[in-house]
Amino acid sequence: MLTFVRAAVMAVMAATALFATASFAATEADFARLIHQRLQASPVLKGEFEQAKTLKGFRNPLVSRGEFLVARGQGVWWHTRQPFESTLVVTKTRLFTRNADGSAADLMDVQAEPGLQQVNELIFSLLAADLDVLADKFTVVAQPVGANGWTLTLTPRDANIAKFLVRATLTGERDLQTVRIEEARGDATQIRFSHQVPAAALTADEAARFQ
Amino acid sequence: MSSLVADARPVRRLRWQVAAWAWLAFCVVVAVHQGRFWRANHFGTDVMALLPQDEQAPEVDRATRQLADQAARQVVVMIGAPAWADARKAADAWQQALDAAKAPLRPSALAGPDTLRDTLAFYAPYRDRLLTSAQRAQLEHAAPQSLVQNALGALAQPGGSLRLADWNADPLGLWPQWWLARASDTRARPRDGQLALSDGGLEWIVLLRETTGSAFSLNGDSPISDALATAQAAAATAVPSVRVVAGGVPLHAEYAATRAHREVDTIGWGSIAGVLLLVFLAFRTLRPRLLMAVSLLVGMATALSATALVFGQVQLLTAVFGASLIGCAEDYGLYYFASRQGAPGQEPLRLMSTLLPGLSLALLTSVLGYLALGLPPFPGLRQMALFAVVGIVATFLTTVCWFPWIDRGELRRTGFSNWIAASFARYPRFGATRGPWLVHAAFALACGVGIGFLHANDDVRQLQASPPALVDAQREIGRLLGLASPAQFFVVRGASADDVLRREESLKTRLDTRVASGELAGYRALSDWVPSQARQASDAALTRRVEDGVVAGVDQVLGESQQRARFDAAPLTLAQWLASPASAAARALWIGAVPRRDDGTAFASVVMLRGVRDLASLPDIARSADGLPGVRWVDQVQSVSALLGRYRHTMGLLLVAGHAAVLLALALRYGRRAWRAWMPTAVATLGTLALLALFGQPLQLFNVLALALLLGIGIDYGIFLLERQDADAGSAWLAVVLGAASTWLSFGLLALSSTPALRSFGLTLLFGILIVWFAAPLYRPRTAASLETS
Repeated sequence: MLTFVRAAVMAVMAATALFATASFAATEADFARLIHQRLQASPVLKGEFEQAKTLKGFRNPLVSRGEFLVARGQGVWWHTRQPFESTLVVTKTRLFTRNADGSAADLMDVQAEPGLQQVNELIFSLLAADLDVLADKFTVVAQPVGANGWTLTLTPRDANIAKFLVRATLTGERDLQTVRIEEARGDATQIRFSHQVPAAALTADEAARFQ
Repeated sequence: MSSLVADARPVRRLRWQVAAWAWLAFCVVVAVHQGRFWRANHFGTDVMALLPQDEQAPEVDRATRQLADQAARQVVVMIGAPAWADARKAADAWQQALDAAKAPLRPSALAGPDTLRDTLAFYAPYRDRLLTSAQRAQLEHAAPQSLVQNALGALAQPGGSLRLADWNADPLGLWPQWWLARASDTRARPRDGQLALSDGGLEWIVLLRETTGSAFSLNGDSPISDALATAQAAAATAVPSVRVVAGGVPLHAEYAATRAHREVDTIGWGSIAGVLLLVFLAFRTLRPRLLMAVSLLVGMATALSATALVFGQVQLLTAVFGASLIGCAEDYGLYYFASRQGAPGQEPLRLMSTLLPGLSLALLTSVLGYLALGLPPFPGLRQMALFAVVGIVATFLTTVCWFPWIDRGELRRTGFSNWIAASFARYPRFGATRGPWLVHAAFALACGVGIGFLHANDDVRQLQASPPALVDAQREIGRLLGLASPAQFFVVRGASADDVLRREESLKTRLDTRVASGELAGYRALSDWVPSQARQASDAALTRRVEDGVVAGVDQVLGESQQRARFDAAPLTLAQWLASPASAAARALWIGAVPRRDDGTAFASVVMLRGVRDLASLPDIARSADGLPGVRWVDQVQSVSALLGRYRHTMGLLLVAGHAAVLLALALRYGRRAWRAWMPTAVATLGTLALLALFGQPLQLFNVLALALLLGIGIDYGIFLLERQDADAGSAWLAVVLGAASTWLSFGLLALSSTPALRSFGLTLLFGILIVWFAAPLYRPRTAASLETS
C-alpha cells in the first residue's frame, strides 16, 4: 500500500523535477558529462513554462503558463500565472503551496512523510544531471536529433512506479526544451520551457520564496 | 524417637514385594512413554505459555496472543550507512551471506505491484465513504468556491497528473491523501525495491525475514543468530562503517532456548556430579551412588512424562527447574544409606520400615512446599509444581520400594562419614540457659532491621531475560520504524462488528487531541480501514454534496461537461474486508467474537498506539477510555506486574499458613518437641529475608516461592535429626549434611542462572539452605535419656 502512495508522490515529484534540468548541453557524444558541467556553472536557473495536460474525461487540454526558479541544493519554485495564480514549492523538508496572499499551506513535510526526503534526493540528482543516480531509477535512452538536438527517454525501473509512469521524454538542443510525461492511466503532460536564464546566486527576494 | 534396636515388629515382606513389583511395572510404562516423548520432542519455548491467563477478560488474552502470534515468526534486520549506496551494498552482502548460511529463515513476502493494484481496486468503489478526520473537517467547513479553486489549482499544477482515480471520481485529490494516512503505520518506505528510511544521518534498509522451522532444536544450536552474525560480518566487510540492528521474537526465543539448554547442562550435570561426589566420599562404594542415580532417573522421567501428559508440552524453563529438583529428592536415599551405615547389623527391609514414618513426613512436608508453587495461576509455575511433586514422589517410591531389595550386603563406615558423624557430638546446641534467649533476641532484632529495609519490586520488566544488546536493538528497531507497542493498547467491545467500529471512532476522536498535542504519533485502528456504517454514510453524503459542487464549478470555468462518478451504494462491511487480501496489513487488530457479556457485547477489536512520546504519559492516555462504553485500556506490563505482586502477597500469606500447617503435622508426631523440627526453617526464612535486604535484592514472587520450597526442604532436616537419636544421631546428621550440601549445590548453581526468575529463586535458597543446615543441630534435644527426665 505504501508503495502505491509513495510511487504516486515519487512520480509527481520526479515529473516536477524533470523540467528543472534545463540548459542541457547537446553533444551527441557524451551529454551527461556536458550537462553536468553546464549545470554546475549555474546554481540558479529561471525561465518560463507552458504546460498542456491531456486528462481522461476532459475534452480540452488544460493549459497553464508561468515562471519557474530552480536553486540547486535549495529547491524548486513553480509559479503558475495563468489560468490561476498558484505557487508550488519543494524544498528539502517541505512540499507546500503559496496562496495569492503570500500564506503557505503545507502539503507534506518530511516529519509526517519520511518519503519526501527520497523525493528530494531524486530532484537534486536531476538538478545535478547525475545520470548515475538517475540510471538507478530509470532506464535512460539518449538519441541525437538533427544537428544539435537530442532526446532523452526515461523509463522507470521500479515496477511500482511503472504502474503509474509509462515514460518521461526530454528533448532539447542547448537547453532543455520540452518534457513529456505519459502515465499509465492515459493522461499525458507536455511542458515547454523558454526564456531560460542562468544565475550565480539567488537574490534575497528569490531566497524568501523557499521559506 | 524410635530406636532401631528397640523395634522388633515383624516386617510385612509380601506387601513390600508387591509394592516393588508394582512400581517396576509402573516404571516400564513410564519408560515406554519416555521413548515416545523424546522422539516427538514435546519441549516448548513459547514464553507466552508461561504467562498467567487473565481470567477476567478473554478478549485481552486473545488480543495479546494475536499480536504476539503476528510477531512470533518475524525477524527484522536494519542495515544503516551514511550513504544510500553503501547501505545497499551492505544489504546485498548481508543477503548473500544469509542465503549461503542456509538458516531457517525466508524473506517475508512484501506486497508486490499486483497486490497493490488489487487492494486499490478493492477500495475504489467505496472511495466516497473514506475520509481522514482532517479531510472531513476541511470539507465540512471550506467555502464551496475555495474548493473549486483548489481543484482548478491542482489541475494546473506542474508535472504529471498522477491520479489514483479518474478526475471525476476524485476531483479534490482526497484519495491519495487517505492512502498516505494509512501508510503512516510505519516509517519505512519503498526505495529501489527495498524498504528504507532515513534517520539520524543514516540511510537504513529494512530487511524482513520469517522463520521456517517450527520448534527450536534442543541440541543447543542457534542457527538463526549464527546466520545473522555471519551475515552481519559480511555486511561489515563490504562496508566497514555499516550499522546492523537485528530484532524479533525468534531471536529472543532462540537465545532463551540455547541458554536454557546450557543451563540444563551445567546446573543439571553440575548438581548430579556434586551429589555423586559427596555420596562417594561418604560411602566409598558404587552401590548407593548407582541406586540414587536410578531413583533420580526414575523421578525425572516420571516427572517429564506426567508434565507432558497433563500439559501436552514441557516448557524448557520447567526442565531447567526440574534439573535443580535433584538436590532435594536426593535426601531420602541419603537418609536411608546414612542410617544403613550407622546400623550395620540391621536388615535393609526392617531398617526401611523403621525409617518410613519419618521419610513419609519429610515427603509430606516437601510436597506441601512444592504444591504451594502451583497455587498462582501461572501455567509455568503449575508445570513446575507438578514436575516437582511427581519427581519427588517417584524418587521417594523408588527409594522405599526398591532400595531394601537391591541394597544387600555391608555398608562400611568411611573416614569422611565418621568424621561428619563424630562432629555432631561436638556441634553446639541451645541449652536451657539464658544465652540462647539473648542470641535469639539479637537475631530477631537484626532480622527485624534487615527486613525493614526489604523492598518489594514486582515489575515484570526486571524479569526480562534477554541480553541488553538484544533488548536495545529491539527498542531501536521499534523507534526507527515507529512501530505500535504490543504491550499497551485499548480493547474495544461492542454488540456487533459495527458497534465495535462506532465505539472505536469515539475513542479515536479523543486520541486525535493527544496526537495534535504531540503526546502520541498516532494509532492503529480497524475503523481506519473500515469505518462504521454511520460514518461511511455521512462521509458519502458529504463527499457527494461537496464534489458535485466542485465538478459543476470546474465544468463551468473550463467549459467542460463532466459528471461526478457514481460509487457503490452499499457500504464496505467488515466481513467483506476480512475476506479480502486487502485486509492483510490490519487484520490482526480484529479480535472477533468473544464470550457475550451482560452488557450485550460479543465482539472486540484492538486499537494500538504509535510513538508514545513519554511513557509517563501512559496513565493519562489510558484515561481516554474513561466514560466510553466498551473501551478498556490494557497495559500488559502493568497488569502482569500487578499480578506478580498480588501473588507475592498471597503466597506470603500462604507461606505463613504453610508454616502453621507443617508445625501442626509435626506436633501430631512429636508433640511438644515439634518446635525443634520447625525452628531451624523459621530461623532460616527470617535470616534469608534479612540477607536479601542486605544484598539489595528486591522481594518478588520468586523469592517467596523459594521460601515455600525452603519450608519443604528445611523441615526434612529437622525431622531427620529429631527421628534419630543417641547412637543413630550421627548418621542422621550425615544424611542432613550430605542432603543440605547437595541441595545447596544444586540451588547454588541455580543462582548462577542468567534467567532472572531462576536466579532470585536460587539466591534465596542459597541463603536459606545454608542457614537451615547450620541452625538445625542447634535445636536438637539433649539426649533421649535426659529428655525423659526433663
